[in-house]
Amino acid sequence: MRAAVSKSTREAAVVRSRGTRDLGDVLSRHRIVVCAGSGGVGKTTTAASVALWGALHGRRAIVLTIDPARRLADSLGVGPIGNTPIEVPASALAGLGVGKGGTLTAMMLDQKGSWDELVARHAPSEEVRESILANPFYRQLSQSFAGSQEYMAVEQLGELDASGRYDLIVVDTPPTQHALDFLEAPDRLLHFLDRKIVRWFVRPSMSAGWSTFQTMNRTVRFLLGKIEDATGVAALAQVSDFFSAMGQLFDGFEARVDRVTALLRDPATAFLLVAGPDEQVLGQVDYLASQMAERRMPLKGVVMNRVHAPLDIDESAPEEIASAIEPHVDRAIGAKGRGEASVAGKVARRLAENLAAWQGRARGDALRIEVFRQGLPRGVPLVQVPDLPRDVHDLEGLRSLHAFLFGAVD
Amino acid sequence: MSLADLLSRRLLFTVGKGGVGRTTVTVALALEAVRRGKRVLVIEFEGARGLERALDAHRQARDPAPGLDRLTYLAVDGKRALEEYLEMIIPVRRLLRTIFDSAIYQYFVAAAPGLKELMAIGKIWYEANRADAEGDPRAANGNADDGPHPDLVIVDAPATGHSLQYLRMPQAAHEAFPVGLVHREAERVLSLLRDPSKTGVVVVSIAEEMPANETLEILAGLEGIGLQHAALVVNQVHAAPCSEEELDALRREAETVEPLEAAASDAALFVEAVRRAEEESGWARINATHVARLEAATRAPVALLPYVFCEEFGPEQVREIGRVLRARFEETSASAKPRGVGRGRAS
Repeated sequence: MRAAVSKSTREAAVVRSRGTRDLGDVLSRHRIVVCAGSGGVGKTTTAASVALWGALHGRRAIVLTIDPARRLADSLGVGPIGNTPIEVPASALAGLGVGKGGTLTAMMLDQKGSWDELVARHAPSEEVRESILANPFYRQLSQSFAGSQEYMAVEQLGELDASGRYDLIVVDTPPTQHALDFLEAPDRLLHFLDRKIVRWFVRPSMSAGWSTFQTMNRTVRFLLGKIEDATGVAALAQVSDFFSAMGQLFDGFEARVDRVTALLRDPATAFLLVAGPDEQVLGQVDYLASQMAERRMPLKGVVMNRVHAPLDIDESAPEEIASAIEPHVDRAIGAKGRGEASVAGKVARRLAENLAAWQGRARGDALRIEVFRQGLPRGVPLVQVPDLPRDVHDLEGLRSLHAFLFGAVD
Repeated sequence: MSLADLLSRRLLFTVGKGGVGRTTVTVALALEAVRRGKRVLVIEFEGARGLERALDAHRQARDPAPGLDRLTYLAVDGKRALEEYLEMIIPVRRLLRTIFDSAIYQYFVAAAPGLKELMAIGKIWYEANRADAEGDPRAANGNADDGPHPDLVIVDAPATGHSLQYLRMPQAAHEAFPVGLVHREAERVLSLLRDPSKTGVVVVSIAEEMPANETLEILAGLEGIGLQHAALVVNQVHAAPCSEEELDALRREAETVEPLEAAASDAALFVEAVRRAEEESGWARINATHVARLEAATRAPVALLPYVFCEEFGPEQVREIGRVLRARFEETSASAKPRGVGRGRAS
């Protein structure tokens, strides 16, 4: 049995090194980096690591994070509640060799309070605010309207950018079913709060029910009345009350959504897709990329997490591997006897099965990533982070990812 | 509890975040049920395509699973379900079409987010209730093949955001609409959901920090809406290929051979095998920590599924998961909680 660097592995290494250089370029050319993806693939950790890279290169970096693991939150100094920016102490960064002027700040997006905060921020008076917050329709809406978290993340991003205190803002986005959901959030919200329709709802007569619409013919009115009965009369009044109150804070709101959308389309904003090698998204990358381009929010890089990278050894059957490594296993654990029945034989066999299985998995990952890469627009770098059995929960751990994300740095 | 007990209910929800293998568990449960002769309807919510794709793969497999012809699929669309419901109570179809197409109706539906979810759950209730023998004279006659009524409905609950949103909706609607048909509809749905002899929630998780945290939230959330989970399936559990002591000895051996015999192929192979063993053991340790957290949070049976290493996860792997699932539940029907780990992965 020969252990040789296979051709495909060497090629992968070349592509990887070219990609890693480019991700650093992407960061140096953009002020805002949005990490999009379906979640569960290390998006939060990736975002934090990218922000740390910025700090190490002299940037005033902030990571806007959604739901970090507790120990990561602890090491970044952000708590589970509240959303004030907290700077990582210079002393903690000093040991990592932060470049001149570099700082790292972390901020947690408070998801649960996000709609409430939005209402509080835009309500013209205490009274309006209270009437919205107490509205049952609003309470349902704020819990279930798709895109509210996404929208709030973008709005928060706008505020951080306007503050002028940061020159690298990295955004960790809420997990979505589809990577595009995040980008669509502002438009969806704007559509939802369409001025014409809101005005429709805020006519004073609405509280009395559908039947007051004189412009409708009688049959339509009759049927709408039936629908009203079916769905519950109180709901309509609540919807109307809600929009009456919302109408009062709508002006500032629309302008804000516009600003936020413009920020996402700013040439200084880069989108990184964070994915795993076994996701459905891999089969749809060309669709994803074209949709992003259409929204004038082009994809600038891909981070592939949890990859089983091909090993520098040829593949063999588990039996062959087992017999090849058994002398070493035998020497290590000093078992009596030889062959299948011995302890060393059993351990060698399990080690061999594990290795062979791992290689099979690596082969599958490599194949899926290659297909994905072919659908990727030219010049979009793709970097791979291996599936390592450890929780990344401190600054040192975040920095250890830089070797994979950016190639050798520091 | 045995798997047969679980599958004897009318309605099962598999609940879990994306990436934990929820759809795989849904399909594995469905295949187990049809193998036992049941007619099964699997449901996913409109927009999600994972379940449909998985079933297509099974139908196109070279060696299809037994009983696949008893398995049907439905994508539930809340908006469509609301229209169906309205057509049922307002039988003036042609005119209703005009209403449904009007901007104000579209907006009304969009503006009442709970309504669509409630109607989706109502549709599921309707499908599950068709299977209820008490309400079905044909079933009472003992003629099981008469008609397409499913014996079991399995719902692959949404992957992202609020995975409990749909399950919470009947209660929310029950409170939000104090009177009217929606109120009564919500009440009917609630009574089915809260009957543990008819409805079971199977929570699917993986044993890593964040997914386990989310699963603990899901368990608490279920309790909050008066639903008990029937089982907890922990997926993608790694197994250490050797003991910690053996691993220590192997590691030391690998360190000595590395510089000396790096050129020798068997030595390099051995070093790589030890590295992979270390990695697997590392994952196994992480998994064990979080399995313990999950087990501490539930009184329901906990079934551990192995991490499946394979080039591509396909129908054969799903059937294997089904077999493991059966074994795990059978193990415990007599004694305590199901346990056990091999290698496996579901995605």
